Amino acid sequence: MSSDSFGDLSWRRVVGGAAVLGLAVLAVAGVVAPESDAGRLLDILTAQTTLAATLRLSVPIAFAALGGIFAEKSGVINIGLEGLLIIAAFTGVYLTDVTGSVWMGVLGGVVASTVLAALFAVVCIEFRADQVIAGLAVWLIALGLAPFASQVVYGGPNTTSVETVGTLTIPLLSRIPFFGALFDATPFVYLMFVAVALSWYTINRTTFGRWVRASGENPKALDTAGVDVQRVRYAAVLLSGVLAGVGGAALSLSLGQFTGNGATMVNGKGFIAIVAYLFGNYNPVGALLSTMLFAGLDALQLTLQARDVFAVPKPLVRTIPYVTVIVVLALFGRTRTPEAAGDHYESGDD
Amino acid sequence: MPPAVRLDGITKRFPGVVANDDVDLTVEAGTVHALLGENGAGKTTLMNVLYGLYEPTEGTVSLDGEAREFDSPRDAIDAGVGMIHQHFMLVDPMTVAENITLGNEPRKWGGLAVDRERAREEVTDLSGRYGFDVDPDARIEDVSVGVQQRVEILKALYRGADVLILDEPTAVLTPQEVEELFTVLEELTAQGKTIIFITHKLGEALEAADEVTVLRNGKNVGSLPTAETDREELATLMVGREVLMQFDKSPASPGETVLSVRDVGVEDERGVDVVRDVSFDVREGEVFGIAGVDGNGQSELVEAVTGLREQTEGSVSFEGQQIDDWSRRRRIREGMAYIPEDRQERGLVMEFDLVENAILGSQHREPFAEGGRIDWKRSRQHAEDVIERYDVRPPNADAEAHSFSGGNQQKFIVGREFERDPSLVVATHPTRGVDIGSTEFIHERLLDLRDDGRGVLLVSSKLDEVQGLSDRLGVMYEGELMDVVDPETVTEEELGLLMAGEYPDSYERAALAADASADDATNTNVAGERS
Amino acid sequence: MNLRDSAERLVRASAFERFLISAAALLLSIAVGFVLILAAGRMTTCGTAATSFLGVGFCYDPITVYDRLFLGAFGNVFADPLNGQFATTLSETTVLMFTGVAVAVAFRAGIFNIGTQGQLVVGALATAVSVLAASTLVSGLLGTVLLVPFGLLVGALFGAAYGAIPGLLKAYADANEVITTIMLNFVATSVALYLVQDHFADPESAATQTVPLPDYAVFPSTVFRPRDDFSLLAFLFAAAVLVGIYVFLERTSFGYDLRTSGIQPEAAEYGGVDAPRTVVTSMALSGALGGLGGAVYVLMILGNFQTGIPSYGFDGITVSILAGNNPLGVGFAALLFGVLKSGSIVVDVGTDVPPQLVGVLRGLIILFVAMPEFFRMIGRRVWTFEDDPSSRPVADGGSGGETDE
Repeated sequence: MSSDSFGDLSWRRVVGGAAVLGLAVLAVAGVVAPESDAGRLLDILTAQTTLAATLRLSVPIAFAALGGIFAEKSGVINIGLEGLLIIAAFTGVYLTDVTGSVWMGVLGGVVASTVLAALFAVVCIEFRADQVIAGLAVWLIALGLAPFASQVVYGGPNTTSVETVGTLTIPLLSRIPFFGALFDATPFVYLMFVAVALSWYTINRTTFGRWVRASGENPKALDTAGVDVQRVRYAAVLLSGVLAGVGGAALSLSLGQFTGNGATMVNGKGFIAIVAYLFGNYNPVGALLSTMLFAGLDALQLTLQARDVFAVPKPLVRTIPYVTVIVVLALFGRTRTPEAAGDHYESGDD
Repeated sequence: MPPAVRLDGITKRFPGVVANDDVDLTVEAGTVHALLGENGAGKTTLMNVLYGLYEPTEGTVSLDGEAREFDSPRDAIDAGVGMIHQHFMLVDPMTVAENITLGNEPRKWGGLAVDRERAREEVTDLSGRYGFDVDPDARIEDVSVGVQQRVEILKALYRGADVLILDEPTAVLTPQEVEELFTVLEELTAQGKTIIFITHKLGEALEAADEVTVLRNGKNVGSLPTAETDREELATLMVGREVLMQFDKSPASPGETVLSVRDVGVEDERGVDVVRDVSFDVREGEVFGIAGVDGNGQSELVEAVTGLREQTEGSVSFEGQQIDDWSRRRRIREGMAYIPEDRQERGLVMEFDLVENAILGSQHREPFAEGGRIDWKRSRQHAEDVIERYDVRPPNADAEAHSFSGGNQQKFIVGREFERDPSLVVATHPTRGVDIGSTEFIHERLLDLRDDGRGVLLVSSKLDEVQGLSDRLGVMYEGELMDVVDPETVTEEELGLLMAGEYPDSYERAALAADASADDATNTNVAGERS
Repeated sequence: MNLRDSAERLVRASAFERFLISAAALLLSIAVGFVLILAAGRMTTCGTAATSFLGVGFCYDPITVYDRLFLGAFGNVFADPLNGQFATTLSETTVLMFTGVAVAVAFRAGIFNIGTQGQLVVGALATAVSVLAASTLVSGLLGTVLLVPFGLLVGALFGAAYGAIPGLLKAYADANEVITTIMLNFVATSVALYLVQDHFADPESAATQTVPLPDYAVFPSTVFRPRDDFSLLAFLFAAAVLVGIYVFLERTSFGYDLRTSGIQPEAAEYGGVDAPRTVVTSMALSGALGGLGGAVYVLMILGNFQTGIPSYGFDGITVSILAGNNPLGVGFAALLFGVLKSGSIVVDVGTDVPPQLVGVLRGLIILFVAMPEFFRMIGRRVWTFEDDPSSRPVADGGSGGETDE
């Protein structure tokens, strides 16, 4: 993997280099001794199904991360991404059930998430709420509301099963070993790559993107340049709602069900998304790569659980992505966050 | 020809404060107009009204004879008014060209995308037209402050400004950069632009402006052509009385060395060397001053001495003991008092009342704490003592710190620190933003401490203050101590050059260098005696 | 003018204002919940409408729901002050006092500890396992006297250690505590599941739980009936802890350090406070309180450790925020949430409305408490109205106020 796209901080290179080296060692060990644990692990890592699972698991995290990038670049830390994913995941299934159309379901999920994001935006931008507390509230509201609604409609925290979004298979290309998974996936996976590219372009090449960046770095500069900072921030937060909405709907509609027990099926993906974009240095491409790292670990733990490769108990294997997030955060906690992120801005403040 | 800018009877009220009181101001096109006044005189507020950031409570603004009403800076910009704020309104990680075109980006593809090529060309053309030398692709965070200021000016020009307002443009510049700025201003007026610049420095107003307006307490107390006025008249108008600053100072009788700084180097948050190889001593019964333009490492040096920042090189001794590994708490305990530069961030906890603030730094020490428990009765007594002795108003120990004016906050900090019975007082800009009465009071108390045999390390960017109070005066430039001079005999020109990082012709450095190079220099204070 | 100024100043007086804002937030959440219940009643189907407004029938009657929620929690308290429902309310309150004050302590130090849940889980498991092991050594009254304090101590220590991790990460690696504590919650749940499944499982039970503690090893049910899982002793202990933390924050040097770094870290540093150490110590203290909550949960309610611990930690956040992070206020906010949690059981049994409603209310309360500016605006409008007859009055309650602004 290329460490350049991760930004210019040298520790990112170190982490990337260590990962590559580790993989190389593993590959050699695996090839030399195919019957060893290393060999079996290599087998899993190079399986097309692992890549397919990684891509599938990446979708909700990547979309939420893209949303988080826009919001935080504009100066609003959206810690409620988890809540947006939850609400979109439920609404997606519910509307699919009601309308019979998966795509109406997706649309519904996006709308629900955007409405919740709008509430968050008003509370933060209009009423100067502490962004972290308000974001937490968004999470907790969705965490209560989705199972509540599910209970009302379906009589339990889990919804009924609905139609899922099928896979779009590209002939021939899908038969390439390993990388074929890239061409045999749900439309959401393709959409994810498109969204990453568009987000990168929007942030770096459009006027809106430039205003978003200025709004998060030095809102006063943007204000004195005659651009309405609050409007830019509203737009960015709403956009984070739209993107997280796609992610949430994709999550539930690729399985055809919403499960609302405990932390719900979203299960921390919104928080992992935050770490993913921090690790990706607010760059959509970097965020995608770190998302795929986390999702890859998740895919790996799923396969490890299924195949019992190591004698590690399943509940411990399940903690791999969370522990990785903590380690990553500890290693690169000193990311350069946008200067004004988290600060309320009002024109005329001095 | 109507005047370029005309303000008529501008009044701006904030809750509890009248910032501008019926101010008239007329600026002719193609001239430089200085807006002179002390901190808090209402200069910036007035200009924010002209720039549309504030709506005036009363009064009208007209440009080129036409009455205007600005709801936002956007309106002012559209009307050809540009403002360069004291704190630059620049986005650090963006390039020069991106900053200049921000909000007015040339677009392509139906307005969606920024036309980056055109933006770069336009910026290059514009800076060429006014003879500016800036690289459109450089990032703001990588260029010098002087260049950043030029970017700000270009930004305003790019948006078609005919009237440029500069708020304290020289505060962050070296004397040489100031000269360059004045040349730029000349070039701009030659091309028909109108300039208003805000300053509290008399000399600059006289040097660069065609006309000067003096504000005092929010009122216009006089508009005069610079050709027909002089320093004394302007100073009188500014402060409202004849005398500026006088010190009734007895000769120092220095004793033992209290603080000894040797070859100290300090890095800032980004790992850049901001203090290099600085050595000096402060003795009992003397004021050692450090002069310099703000931002030349004084703050970081002081933070290293007081234990708020780690030094990367060298060592510091206090009363003969090496204290490099002493915590901040220990330094306070051993008798180091510190009046910090930023009273609202460091010196006081704004949400605490004065009773709680009275023990900041002593919260673990007797008599305020015993066995981990705080004695609030004693703290209250102490707070009330300080309030009374240092004339803090209103005398209410239960009021939260943020409810006091800046001057009274400062008096409270000064009182708390002086009452520590310190052997060393480190005072950074002790009178910044403080009214004249309190300033004199603080100065007197500083000299009292000195006469009482304490050491004082004074850092100030007010030259008259630091020169008047100090017994020995160090000058810092770009993190280095240029020299230590005798404040009585040094000339203004010599000081100015040292602050700009140059040694005057045929200038002999004082003996400080020799002092520092001598290994056993700790107790020899050759620096005080000029050869 | 004068009247309005003084009224405004009164509202700005922080403690009173906080109380008003909390009360207003609570009312507003209840109002939104009211609408939500009606809306949910339209989404489901039922034979006969439970209530009708403006000629429209609804399957759920919000008034019944709120009646059950708030009054149901007290049971028939006048006839039988020791009734089971009231005991449940108080035992929920007891645990929430610990989690609430745990979050509050961290908050006062400027740290957002979302990890109380995980710290509670760790403390609970540690208590259950170690008390079980120690219960073979002593028994009877002596057992109670020794084992309960021992269990509390173990819970506090393990909670403190687990809380110190994000503290260390924040202090020395600059890792955002919000994210690390949330991640550590997931880790705690999984690790507890593993430990119980693989090492401490009760062989006699199909559920994932540890062996039940003997009766002498848990809190004695003072005054209340044993089967109601409430101990007045534990409640009094919780109350004493709140008072202790209050005194600690307001009257001790370290409490001063902690509060100073919470509101103005630069000033704290100036005043000689060692910032990283304060972060770690505060988080350890917060974790200890969360761990104590877990210990009390095991020693008073469960009698062993079971997976699937209720979200006391997250409720603790709401309790703390609602209480303005004041330890004494935590007592009242915890009682309110104890009522809500206990009442939600009554709602579940007595109506068709899902008990998850309380979860929604929890989120709404946090959201509304987080936006004091909203209530200030409304407040200002009300006073402006009194002062100036030309401005329009604000609709009562404020349910329409939000879109109004």
